[in-house]
Amino acid sequence: MTASGDLLADLVDDVDGVFLFAPNGSTYDEFAAVDDEPAVVVAQENDHDAERYVELPLAFDNVRDRIRFGVEGAMDHGYCAEGDEVACAVGVFGDSTDAVIRTSVTESIHSGIYDLFANSRADPNVVRDVFDVAIELGNKGQKGKPVGALFVVGDAGKVMNKSRPLSYNPFEKSHVHVGDPIVNVMLKEFSRLDGAFVISDSGKIVSAYRYLEPGAEGVDIPKGLGARHMAGGAITRDTNAIAIVLSESDGLVRAFKGGSLVLELDPEEY
Amino acid sequence: MSDPVPIPTAETAVSPTGVPLQSAVDMLRSALSSVPARLWLAVGVVLFGAVLAALVAAVNRRLLVGAGVPETIEGTAFERTAREFGTSTVSLVADLTGYFIFILSVIVALTVARVRYITTFWNGVAELLPSLFLAALVLILGLVVGDKVELLVDERLRGVKLPQTGVIPSLAKWSVVFVAVLVALGQVGIHTDALVVLLGTYGFAVVLFGALAFRDLLASGAVGFYLLLQQPYTIGDRVRIGDTDGVVQEVNVFVTHVESDDEEYVVPNRRAFTDGIVRLRE
Repeated sequence: MTASGDLLADLVDDVDGVFLFAPNGSTYDEFAAVDDEPAVVVAQENDHDAERYVELPLAFDNVRDRIRFGVEGAMDHGYCAEGDEVACAVGVFGDSTDAVIRTSVTESIHSGIYDLFANSRADPNVVRDVFDVAIELGNKGQKGKPVGALFVVGDAGKVMNKSRPLSYNPFEKSHVHVGDPIVNVMLKEFSRLDGAFVISDSGKIVSAYRYLEPGAEGVDIPKGLGARHMAGGAITRDTNAIAIVLSESDGLVRAFKGGSLVLELDPEEY
Repeated sequence: MSDPVPIPTAETAVSPTGVPLQSAVDMLRSALSSVPARLWLAVGVVLFGAVLAALVAAVNRRLLVGAGVPETIEGTAFERTAREFGTSTVSLVADLTGYFIFILSVIVALTVARVRYITTFWNGVAELLPSLFLAALVLILGLVVGDKVELLVDERLRGVKLPQTGVIPSLAKWSVVFVAVLVALGQVGIHTDALVVLLGTYGFAVVLFGALAFRDLLASGAVGFYLLLQQPYTIGDRVRIGDTDGVVQEVNVFVTHVESDDEEYVVPNRRAFTDGIVRLRE
């Protein structure tokens, strides 16, 4: 008993902050009662009206991504600073908290996941909605067959000037936004065809069937990814857009910003 | 026309068969038959009215519940007050219709029974009753709708974390209640001219100041509809509006975002019409 207690005590020994990932009510209340340094709550919804709160746009299945997002967000809000040691209470195997992970806030944890959602040109909700569509598309595919898709989100004016149409734009003179349920069906149907979807800062679908023509110099993406990823990665280097790519071959959803790969998700886990 | 001819009681009393039990039954019968038939009819009318009232109340309650009224008005102040008194708005309205019918039947019964001396009074009541009933209904409706409007506006404004907006929901609520009170008073026949003038002034002020405050917004909105429907320029086009030129990044109902070399102009759509749009082609 004492040995296991010590194990946990060592883990949380003089940490500078505590992160609670989707805590239940009683856990949060216990921390809220001790008020010298309030815990940072990282969850999809601020159920407890926590003072220090980082909103998760997706329920990151990968715990490392989840912690990275939470810590980056907390750094952005000024809840913790570089060099701090923090303890994260997370649920690894389920929704309820089953692990405490100690990590130090360093530059290396700054992978840009939080940046991708919070500091992109496009609205965070739009980024999340596009992720939702890509994940759903990756899960179900087009009529059961795996399908690939490329969404370029934000800075649509510049993206349109750096691309050309492959065919008539089905979204011309229509005012549809990602996130509307009917639009997700439309996007799924059009994903059968080649080219990129261009989505504006506010989530309006500007065009489908776009052939992207960015300069591909200096784009650093992992070797082995196809033309779709290269085009998506390169356009984010030339413009302030982000690209969300669903791979046809391995079925993963990848996000690019500033010409580099920021996030990799497996749709199967959502 | 008082012809309730009572069956002569003497005859039964002098009945030769003098069994005590028999005579008691006879006496009862005679007592019953001594009551005028008109009165029986009146009692029947009252009973019928009671049954009808209960039936209508039940049907009304069923209808209101079926129409989803309890869910719609959930959480309004009026409903909460009603709950405190151990009732609910739905049963209140249903009971009201029931009482209305019952009181009506009592009045009909009184007329049938020809209770002379109160007839004139009851006639007045009978005339007033429907409007009174309608007034009560309008008042309840006004209170409930007012509460609901307050809740809706409050929810809408919750995203705007501004303490000053707290006054708007209650303003909306009391506007609705005021109109309801006005209608109710008008139903009962009370002169509401002064209140109508007050309402008119209030409405005029709202419209005037609204128009003044939202002038630019309305003009931009009107132009925005044209821009969205006709799309003289779309996202990605190079345009010049007035002296701002750049690439269109976003068009919505009120503004157009035009970006040039790391500077993003948010141009009110109104300016697209007053200054004209220049499409630049290289």
